[in-house]
Amino acid sequence: MDQLFDISLFNSTLRILTPILLAALGGAICARVGLFNVGLEGLVLVGAFSAILGNHLLGNVWLAVLFAVICVMLFSLLFAYVSINLRANVIVVGISLNFLAAGLTTFCLRAIFDVKGAYYDKNMQGLPRWDIPLIKDIPVLGGIVSGHSPLVYAAFAAAILMWVYLFKTVSGFRLRAAGENPVAAQSLGIPVRRIQYGAVLVSGALCGLAGAQLSLGQVTMFTEGMTAGRGFIALVATMLGQSNPLGVVASSLLFGLMDAFSIRLQGFALPAQFTQMLPYIMTLAAMFFFKDRSYLKDAQRANGSSR
Amino acid sequence: MNVIKRTLLGMLQPVVAVLIGLIAGAVAILLIGDSVVDTYREMWNGAFGSFYFLTNTLTRATPIILTGLGVALAFRAGFFNMGATGQMVLGGLAAAITGLYMPGPGWLVMIMALLVGMVVGGLWSLFAGYMDARFGVNLLISTLLLNYIASLFAGYMVSFPLKDRTGSAAMSQTPMLEADVWLPKLFSGMSLHAGFILAVLAAVAIYIFIHHSVAGYEIRMLGNNPFFAAYGGVKRGRMMVVAMLTSGALAGLAGAGEVLGTQHRYLDGALTSADYGWSGIMATLLASSHPIGTAVAGILLAALQTGAMGVERNTNVPLEVASVIQATLTLFVSARFGYLFLKRRKERKNNGSAV
Repeated sequence: MDQLFDISLFNSTLRILTPILLAALGGAICARVGLFNVGLEGLVLVGAFSAILGNHLLGNVWLAVLFAVICVMLFSLLFAYVSINLRANVIVVGISLNFLAAGLTTFCLRAIFDVKGAYYDKNMQGLPRWDIPLIKDIPVLGGIVSGHSPLVYAAFAAAILMWVYLFKTVSGFRLRAAGENPVAAQSLGIPVRRIQYGAVLVSGALCGLAGAQLSLGQVTMFTEGMTAGRGFIALVATMLGQSNPLGVVASSLLFGLMDAFSIRLQGFALPAQFTQMLPYIMTLAAMFFFKDRSYLKDAQRANGSSR
Repeated sequence: MNVIKRTLLGMLQPVVAVLIGLIAGAVAILLIGDSVVDTYREMWNGAFGSFYFLTNTLTRATPIILTGLGVALAFRAGFFNMGATGQMVLGGLAAAITGLYMPGPGWLVMIMALLVGMVVGGLWSLFAGYMDARFGVNLLISTLLLNYIASLFAGYMVSFPLKDRTGSAAMSQTPMLEADVWLPKLFSGMSLHAGFILAVLAAVAIYIFIHHSVAGYEIRMLGNNPFFAAYGGVKRGRMMVVAMLTSGALAGLAGAGEVLGTQHRYLDGALTSADYGWSGIMATLLASSHPIGTAVAGILLAALQTGAMGVERNTNVPLEVASVIQATLTLFVSARFGYLFLKRRKERKNNGSAV
């Protein structure tokens, strides 16, 4: 057991959970305005690619992150327009968006970098590691908390900010009202559509950061379909956390730990396929504990958007 | 007359979608700096240019049509079954195991392998349906996650217990099946196998099932209006069993057909990397879950993919131009769902009836 649990396991947990947490927060704010965002996977994928592209074009890692955020926000506008203005079924839009992201990134990878499958540039600078002055000297805590990319800290900050915004501000209250009962909110003069657009854009920005952490955080490379279901795991994290930012942090911690654990287990004699399966099985198992809405309620909600 | 008009109107949408997709492809080709006309001519030739290429396209279309039909049935009932890939992989693996180890005459083994593939795919899909009906586990997400689990499990099976150790190649694959177990080829020297006939038959069968049977009517009712269906006494749980089992069985058949007809063994990643399952879902969306339309859309998507291979062979434009066209198609599909809604709302206004 000593080899299984040590400081570096928890350290890598924080690193691995970051893309999931950021995307799940994006999913949470969309869920709060009544849009079930299945397109998280695609948004993160576009973020990962555009972060690498931005780094290649602009040569600065911070500008690259900004570039990724802007690209994904633009991409998420598409989701907003089709599902809010055209009132299409959000699930179909989300699925299509995932296809679109996969298609565009493979094409751009080939057209811009002229490579198939993966792009890697050893001269490219990734995100720096931050050693936090005082904390890094504390024995155990320092080894876990310190020395991560800034986006790791940003993810947790975003969760706290979102919690404060949603539950402690008037504007956050209106946002929740717009999601709970759009018709009632509209009749009170709350600009429901504008709020929904805002939420989708925020979700896009968060997914952009998630993608940047994925492609620039540990190794600076992009591979086709590198999200490998993380967007879907994030979706489960959103549901498990009941779209509450702090709940989302807790469920993302669980999935991050499982992911880190599965990587650790590969050092043992287990076949790689089984250790890779672990996060998906855990996610599936976690869903047994989440069942708040019956399908009839789902249908009631879906009535607004038609098939 | 009315039927013809409705069919033509229904076809207008996908045709416009394809045109928009081709325009997007043209923009991509221009950006790379090649001639649009030449590229599209190569694409046409690569897909339909000769009898050989035509059969190639139809071979590729076979698993797409089968998975697409399965997804279409589930969609009609309002179940978002995204697990076609996993169901297909397990169906293929099960068919390979049956083909390798079952004794008996070749034709019997072949039929049994197809059936076992269908059963395994169906059960895997039903597992997700059961978790939804019994424990309220969201079907959309569970089927997505089960894809990864199925692919990894199949990967394990062919890298360890079932690995082919006869050849020198260190590939993760099962041994080759005996030639008398293979699905017969339709034309000698061509890749097209009997699976295509199964796919066409399945399309017709699913069409009759959905549009001309009681269970099919209940499935459509459940998909269109769950409240009304519940009021009318439709048992959602039972319908889910029927829809998910059939849906998974078709995906399993797609996998079994690929293994028995094309690969002649289960090769790790061969079914997933070609994205048959996802293309099937795309075909369903493109045809708004109409079975015959799904089959046509499946052939179209396959033509796009094989055509793009021709493009890559003969021009500077990369194969990935197909993914741009496909992506635009799907975007249009999702927008169309909104367009239909707007149209319906307008009609309601004209009728003056309450919403």
